[in-house]
Amino acid sequence: MQPTSSMNEQFLKKWQMGLQIFRPSIDNTSVSERKRAIKLSADVAMASLRKGTTCWSRALIQKAATQDNFLVRQMLSGIKEETLINKKLPKIVCHRKIVRRSKKILMRRKSKSAMEEVAAKAKKLVKRKTQGLRNIVPGGEFMSNNVLLIQETLDYIVSLQTQVNVMRSIVDAADAGVER
Amino acid sequence: MMMMNGEATEAELFLNCADMSVLERQRAQLNYHHLPGFFSNSSTINGGEIDDGFLASAGLDLPEIYGEVHGDARISVSPGNITNESGNSKKRKFGCVDTETKVFNEKKKMMMMDREVEVEEEEEKSKITEQSTKSIMKMKNKAKKEQNSCSNDSSKVTKDSQRTDYIHVRARRGQATDSHSIAERARREKISERMKFLQDLVPGCEKITGKAGMLDEIINYVQSLQRQVEFLSMKLATVSPRLDFNIDDIFAKEVVSAPMMNLPNSVMPPHMMVNSGYPHDMVNSGYVHFNPMQQVVTSSDPLACFNNGQSATMWDSDVQNLYSSLGV
Repeated sequence: MQPTSSMNEQFLKKWQMGLQIFRPSIDNTSVSERKRAIKLSADVAMASLRKGTTCWSRALIQKAATQDNFLVRQMLSGIKEETLINKKLPKIVCHRKIVRRSKKILMRRKSKSAMEEVAAKAKKLVKRKTQGLRNIVPGGEFMSNNVLLIQETLDYIVSLQTQVNVMRSIVDAADAGVER
Repeated sequence: MMMMNGEATEAELFLNCADMSVLERQRAQLNYHHLPGFFSNSSTINGGEIDDGFLASAGLDLPEIYGEVHGDARISVSPGNITNESGNSKKRKFGCVDTETKVFNEKKKMMMMDREVEVEEEEEKSKITEQSTKSIMKMKNKAKKEQNSCSNDSSKVTKDSQRTDYIHVRARRGQATDSHSIAERARREKISERMKFLQDLVPGCEKITGKAGMLDEIINYVQSLQRQVEFLSMKLATVSPRLDFNIDDIFAKEVVSAPMMNLPNSVMPPHMMVNSGYPHDMVNSGYVHFNPMQQVVTSSDPLACFNNGQSATMWDSDVQNLYSSLGV
């Protein structure tokens, strides 16, 4: 599933709306400030397209709300912004020390065959990678199982692709304008 | 997203499958015509609830899960659920088995499965142990691949067209039928299916097999996309000091296939134009004058949200005024 043109349009609309909201507050500010504003509004626009159905979008909106609550609320006006912003997600807490210690004990007791060891190492690798994925995808820590994680990743990738496409086309257009 | 749309019913697919054994065909036929109300709580009656039909009528104690069902469904593990039917269905089941045994002497493997099923049911075990299958199967080793392919086909077929409360799974040959392991397997299949979608999405990983490699690629791709977003937003911040961008170029691409596509400042909302840092010479060219009008008219709807409610007609006149004023 590739990003469709309607998705592009929707994202663009929302993003422009967000930028308009930002505009009065960032006259004559530094480049980094503007970049932050651009990115924030783009992220919130991207997340709001999903209307709270996916875990990553909710997490993204919450993160943005910590940065700039008022503006995010304005952007989201009409899409149950209260629930989105104030929702507390259950975090999956894993006390690493305890887990590591208990695993060591388990390892000592079991005597594994060669094949089992290989399988165990492969599993460890996969676990580490999924943990890495959780760190990257917004809200990854809140996804309880791997199936959900991969589903969310799918959706997140598609949304990122729309975001990148739209931004890139604007940059291209702006470049073409500047060259003239 | 891209799952098999069960255009044909399961039964038809079963009937058409080249590798289908006669057993499966009969089964399909039976279930296609089976009476509703035969099964009280375990399934909704779709045209082709094959396994549910046959094996439930067989009064099995086995939990049966068929591949995966799209969406969430609970896995039926309750032996009690199925033994409800066993009373009134035993006769029918035996009858079925008899007819079948007559018909397929050449497909003895299937028969062995049924015999096992009988055995299991009589002993009221909930596991097919590997030893028992193997010992029986030693005698009959034909058509193992056929069996597997049939069960694979059937699992794929039933996967999508079942919308029951419980997932009924056929435990594949030589695999444990423990409820936990079946649930595990269903989960794993779901994951691998999602990974396949990801393979389509992430460029350049058609050749990568295995979860770890795929996850690596996915992580790299997501990271690169995020970095791109950062970079592009930085670039946009440097390009335009006022954060006003040319939305119409985007729309132009979709709405009007004009050669004017790359013009930087076709139309912008009036207040933006006034304050923008765009060079005025571009704005004043009459060339620019006309096409933007067209673009505006056609794309007036998307622009409505940031036109502050201006209608298309007002828009035109305003922009005209603007152009003229800037020309001064």
